[in-house]
Amino acid sequence: MSEKQTILIIEDERTISNFISRALAANDYRAIPAYTGKEGLSLFFSHGPDLVLLDLGLPDMDGLEILSQLRGLPREAPVIIISARDRESEKVRALDMGADDYVVKPFGVSELLARIRSALRRADRLKLSQGIQRSIYQIKDLTIDLAKHQVLLGEQEIHFTQNEFKIIELLAIHAGKVLTYDFILEHIWGPYGGTGSNQILRVNMANIRRKLKENPSEPKYIHTELGIGYRMLDD
Amino acid sequence: MSQRFTALYHRLDAQFHRIPAIPRNIGVMALFLCAAYWASSILITHTGGENNSALVFVLAVVFISLLTSGYFYGIAASIIGTLCINIYFMEPYAAFSLSRPGYPVALLSMVAISCVVCALTARVKKQATEAVRREKKAKALYEQNEKLNAEKAAIQLQSERISIRENILRAVSHDLRTPLTSISGAVSVLLESPDVSPKNLAMLADIKQDADGLIVMVENLLSVTRVQDGTIPLKKREEMLEEVAGDALLTTRRRFPDYPIELDLSEDILYLPMAPLLVKQVIVNLLENAIRHSGDREHIVLRLYRQDDWAVAEVRDRGRGLSPEVCQAVAAGQPMPRSLSGDATRGMGIGLSVCQNIIKAHGGFFTAKNRPGGGAVFRFGLPTEGEKL
Repeated sequence: MSEKQTILIIEDERTISNFISRALAANDYRAIPAYTGKEGLSLFFSHGPDLVLLDLGLPDMDGLEILSQLRGLPREAPVIIISARDRESEKVRALDMGADDYVVKPFGVSELLARIRSALRRADRLKLSQGIQRSIYQIKDLTIDLAKHQVLLGEQEIHFTQNEFKIIELLAIHAGKVLTYDFILEHIWGPYGGTGSNQILRVNMANIRRKLKENPSEPKYIHTELGIGYRMLDD
Repeated sequence: MSQRFTALYHRLDAQFHRIPAIPRNIGVMALFLCAAYWASSILITHTGGENNSALVFVLAVVFISLLTSGYFYGIAASIIGTLCINIYFMEPYAAFSLSRPGYPVALLSMVAISCVVCALTARVKKQATEAVRREKKAKALYEQNEKLNAEKAAIQLQSERISIRENILRAVSHDLRTPLTSISGAVSVLLESPDVSPKNLAMLADIKQDADGLIVMVENLLSVTRVQDGTIPLKKREEMLEEVAGDALLTTRRRFPDYPIELDLSEDILYLPMAPLLVKQVIVNLLENAIRHSGDREHIVLRLYRQDDWAVAEVRDRGRGLSPEVCQAVAAGQPMPRSLSGDATRGMGIGLSVCQNIIKAHGGFFTAKNRPGGGAVFRFGLPTEGEKL
């Protein structure tokens, strides 16, 4: 790409914002720091960044409020949430409101860069496909054929139950994005299907992992976001 | 002044009521009747009339019915009094006679008046005791109310204390994590940068290692303050143990990329209530202990399995094993020996104490043993209560 991709960092802690900026610059991105929510919103309008890093704990505005304003705009950019470790419900809310991903303080640079790359790739894909659904998804040696209702691991076909396949399909369509338990439950079992417990989903996922021979400590296809949901890896 | 009188009255009253009821009542009756007789005999020498004595005796009857219990003594006193007047203070003296015209009417009316007075005083007395009883009841209610208020205040104070603590924890965790994140982050940017000399690079790597160590230490301290005295209830929810363990392994691997740690999963699905971040921390601590203290690089295994009603996780290695002091302290559920919190082991003691506390708060068990073929094994089990699988 000839032009550098622009990333808006809305983070009030200058030390954190600084090192993120440096890391982004070193990796060929253009970083724009904003230290308050208002500044962040106005810089978003003036620069039209390709991605937004958003801290949920800003002094002047609720991070979720900023998120909902960004989501209401015609120009969409993926948003990655930066949040404290023990605020899971906040993260889940942000993801359900349309954030793409999150990192938890304390996070490492390599982890952050990986998430940024993944979110940008996903945004590119969405732009290219222009809303047309693909029917075949390829993740490493895993082939998911939505039309044929078939999953191949290498050359070998793996048989899944109806619900297991639906989960894989949903994750594949949103590959790279963290899907919360509630999001998956609602899409597979309907708005009232998963009320109360997400045990069905978790057990289905455990079975999928066993069929794919996934090791939860070295996930190749499906990454577990502890206490939040799942994400299909896209590279 | 009046208070002293009231006090005196109450003391006398108490003394008075210590005498048994029947002799007390008879005594009161005799005393007042004698007093009335004595007063009347003095009066009769001065006035010579007979009407005064009747009034004196009515007064005596009033006192008697006030100071005795029930109607009986008052009525008895009025009859005795009437007879007394008839015999001693009316002509003919020292003899009972109904010969005077109109006398029977006077006699009957005297008895009637005495009875009415007696009944009235009894009623007043009953009302008085009722009032005292009510007052006592009101006082008891008031005291109970006070007690409830005190309890309520104590509960409020406790919950305030918890919320203050939560707030402090949140502030501390934010204020410690934020700078540590930026130190560790900034150093990793520098480590990647081309214009750092190799000599400085080694120092930067040390800074990075220490910052990451501090991050772990802060997590441990925060967890232990959270769990320690049980004032803050655990935020438990149903969680897959294999997902928690997987996450713990990912975290450990990020810090120690050169150590191959094997994950041995059971076919059983272990889905149980827990505070996932805390359990993750236990596993991370155990893995780090194995990496740093066992001296073994190749055989560290994290294994999950079900044993009766327990979901068990164990971390084993083929390293140098545990000293008897450590085994003993873990078995007794005591803090680690002081020698372990020294420089050389870099807080192994704290890590294990955190593990013990967290597992204890979950109602689980925690053991540390040496393996037969050499090496150590740490095991913890969480109760799979209420599991419906």
